[in-house]
Amino acid sequence: MSHVAKIELEILDLEILKGACQRLNLEFLENQRSYRWYGRYVGDTPLPDGFTAEDLGKCNHAIRVPSAAYEIGVVHRQGKYHLLWDSWHSGGLERVLGPGAGRLKQAYAIERVTQEARLKGYRLCEKQVNNSVQLVLTV
Amino acid sequence: MKQIIIDISETGEISIETRGFVGRSCITESQFLKDLLGQELSVQLTPAYYQTTDQKQTVKKHLPLCG
Repeated sequence: MSHVAKIELEILDLEILKGACQRLNLEFLENQRSYRWYGRYVGDTPLPDGFTAEDLGKCNHAIRVPSAAYEIGVVHRQGKYHLLWDSWHSGGLERVLGPGAGRLKQAYAIERVTQEARLKGYRLCEKQVNNSVQLVLTV
Repeated sequence: MKQIIIDISETGEISIETRGFVGRSCITESQFLKDLLGQELSVQLTPAYYQTTDQKQTVKKHLPLCG
């Protein structure tokens, strides 16, 4: 082993995000400017960094999750894509995607690494380890 | 064999581990993944990181003096 690094995911590529939606059978709604949520910020969860209550409900694209009443908003800011959603249990998003829409982030990271491995010609092996996915790249 | 192992949890946490690299090449060879995925929060170096490719190996031999 040479080193171990922890990475905080940033969503930088919209096409990869679309691929992640496809992987999870979610519907990517290109150019949909609003997403379904409770409709009013009640202060029960902290706002994402750099966002105000007025920003909620507005987006550049949206993601529809089958069996969930609420949707995810995709907001493009300073070269990054931010995911906005209402985690209220009746909305159903957390039930499908886990806390913090973690399963969508996981799918994005898998798609991103898989595409790059293909481009670089690296051998890639994907396996499920408990609730995590392990990708092994042979350089 | 040089390998890069990427663990992605269900909560979206990512850890990247390199294996089989000697010296600082593990950092440069895995940098593309960090650039693709986001911000590096922490890095833990292992003994192999401090090895150099031209490092001479010292082999210690012990002679059996008893029996």
